[in-house]
Amino acid sequence: MLFNSLVFFVFLPIVFVGYWLVSNKNLKLQNIILLIGSYTFYGWWDYRFLSLIAASTIVDYFVGLRIEGAKNKSIGKKWLLVSILFNIGLLGFFKYYNFFVESWIDSLALFGYTVNNAWTLKVILPVGISFYTFQTLSYSIDIYKEKLKPTRDFIAFAAFVSFFPQLVAGPIERASNLLPQILTKRKFTYQALSYGIKLMIWGFFMKLVVADRAAIYVNAVYNNVENHEGLSFIAATVLFAFQIYGDFAGYSLIAIGTAKIFGLDLMTNFRRPYFAASVSEFWTRWHISLSTWFKDYVYIPLGGNRVAKPRWLFNLFITFLISGLWHGANWTFVIWGALNGIYLIIEALLFKKTRKGLINVFVTFFLINFAWIFFRANSTENAFYIIKTIFTSPGRLYIGSGDDITASIYATLAIAILVLVETKKEYFTTQFSISNNRIEYVRLVGYAVVIFMILYIGVFGESQFIYFQF
Amino acid sequence: MIKKEYKLVFMKCIKFVIILLIIDFVFGSISKQVFFNQKTGKYARSTHVIYEANPDILIFGSSHAHRHYIPKVFEEKLQKTCYNAGAEGQQLLYHNALQKMVFKRVTPKLIILNIDENFLYKSKVAYDRLSDLHPYYEDYKSELRPVLELNSKLVDFKLFFKSYQTNSTIIHALRYYLSPQVDYKGYRPLFDKMKFSDNVSSNKEDPDKEYIEEIDDNFVMAFKEFIANAKSNNVDLIFVTSPTLNKVDFSTNESLNMMKEIAEMEKVTLIDFFNSEQFMHKYELFHDPSHLNNDGSTLFTASIAEFIKNQTN
Repeated sequence: MLFNSLVFFVFLPIVFVGYWLVSNKNLKLQNIILLIGSYTFYGWWDYRFLSLIAASTIVDYFVGLRIEGAKNKSIGKKWLLVSILFNIGLLGFFKYYNFFVESWIDSLALFGYTVNNAWTLKVILPVGISFYTFQTLSYSIDIYKEKLKPTRDFIAFAAFVSFFPQLVAGPIERASNLLPQILTKRKFTYQALSYGIKLMIWGFFMKLVVADRAAIYVNAVYNNVENHEGLSFIAATVLFAFQIYGDFAGYSLIAIGTAKIFGLDLMTNFRRPYFAASVSEFWTRWHISLSTWFKDYVYIPLGGNRVAKPRWLFNLFITFLISGLWHGANWTFVIWGALNGIYLIIEALLFKKTRKGLINVFVTFFLINFAWIFFRANSTENAFYIIKTIFTSPGRLYIGSGDDITASIYATLAIAILVLVETKKEYFTTQFSISNNRIEYVRLVGYAVVIFMILYIGVFGESQFIYFQF
Repeated sequence: MIKKEYKLVFMKCIKFVIILLIIDFVFGSISKQVFFNQKTGKYARSTHVIYEANPDILIFGSSHAHRHYIPKVFEEKLQKTCYNAGAEGQQLLYHNALQKMVFKRVTPKLIILNIDENFLYKSKVAYDRLSDLHPYYEDYKSELRPVLELNSKLVDFKLFFKSYQTNSTIIHALRYYLSPQVDYKGYRPLFDKMKFSDNVSSNKEDPDKEYIEEIDDNFVMAFKEFIANAKSNNVDLIFVTSPTLNKVDFSTNESLNMMKEIAEMEKVTLIDFFNSEQFMHKYELFHDPSHLNNDGSTLFTASIAEFIKNQTN
């Protein structure tokens, strides 16, 4: 089920009413409703893959208990290995199997060996598998590291793993944050509901007005690279920067807002990333739940920065390389991750102080955009072709034909509104605010105008969220 | 305590919904006014066809219809009034709905539907572009609901909002207000002439192909309905295929063959200009390999007018 589908607007009130009105006095019942709601939400896409979530839930539930009950650390470690093998195995099979087989065959071809490609399988990538496997994995690791006590409440744990607002595209929640909330009685408040709805409205604006509008131009250029030139690639890449931000941050806001109306707080996932003055700062503002996951479960276990400098730089690079691969089974993502790793290494070598100022913001924005070329391109060949064309053949700027021209104008308008709002939030926090205005009617009219804009210039094609594919 | 919270939420919701409806009504009504007051552009043309036009001959079809049929030529040769209701990028679902709306008010003597070879093939954009019909929904609910429901659920709920009815139309309206788009009774000529070198560079596989080669049952139904509606309103119907610069082998094109079969079964005349010697490789008559320029369109329209004249005599 998509957030931007009509069925979600039928589904959400039903779960909401069941959750608060019917089962408000019974925590267990509330969690059962959350669980049923979450499985319905996911099963709407493909019910067959519910078995994977259920399996991941069961494995980590029992692994958690076994690790706690283990007589010594080495037995605990063996149980942790079960969780790691199972979750990474799921991910490896469904997401990376074909990629590694094809890459192996391609690499043999480089040495003149031709291998008949009979090993690849027709595997459908289950939506959200990268997210919920990481979530369950972190649960077992945290128990092993004695940062968390396992729960014996299976329903609550299953509701935590499958919690529908963040099941398919995050934020990747830590058990230490979400699980205690699910185990505790929630209280219905007007403030929480109002705040949640506000986040959802702005999230829908980011998705339907900013991202889906920008996507029209981006797709027209990136899906047809032979017919475009440098200036069009630059425009499309900048628009893609806003498309992916609108898409993913929009999704995160809708997820956080939806959780909020159920009385649950999810972690912030984006904090105006394009105002970052360095790439390292960018990664503290972009997809925060994933960045911190990699920091805690990959970078720090590798030694983090408490090792010799070359090893530290290697740790940085390898963390981003894995992060790139996490995003997709394609070399474009690996290169994108590596590029970000290289940026961070250069920053670590060249700059001692924290960078600030508008020029650094623009430089960072440029670097991030350069990396987005690999993220968005349909193949590595396309990405290199785009980069080469940008530098060798600026040419004419494609402005679209027919309705595409108006789509580009709407996209520009929507991005201008987004940038204006984010600039206000970033630099003028204490100035006039609509969302927190003392006058109730200013707040209500403000959000009604946002809904009007969604209805008036939004794209209503029920398009997928980009991060569903990861 | 909880009940108090529920009551508060209820009251705030009511307040918010009222404000939202007022804003939607005010801005949505203004937007509809702007929409229906357009003088030029694709929306102005469709509004004219739906609410005002009363021609003897009405042309339907995609950009090929819009760019190939010159009403003035028909009027001079046949002494009948004509309007070109061709709409760029639109396919059978749209034309079927447009025909129904027209028939509610007037019945032309003759309808010409320019058919594209891919009209029956599955095409997502054909559904997406049905949004061009949204502004007319309030006045033509029974005609439009069946076709809009093919693309979206809860049509009545969505189109309850006035702002959604004119979604994404304002830039178009402003653009043609500031720079009017000239048309001649719905026909917009193309003036460029092709050169041999243009053809070589455009001979590649179309990267923007908007369909997949599988028959869409809804399109077949729309095609049949288009014929049935014309018949039930005693309107003569002719199908025409437009010429192309290059020779194209359509013998295995399932979509075109099916349309031909249906036309034959329903005894609807089909004038087939695909691979017509009169136009093939005549670069001076084409703007691009599948669109005639004004000279080509003049010749093409005159040929059809001649055919109709001969048929009626």
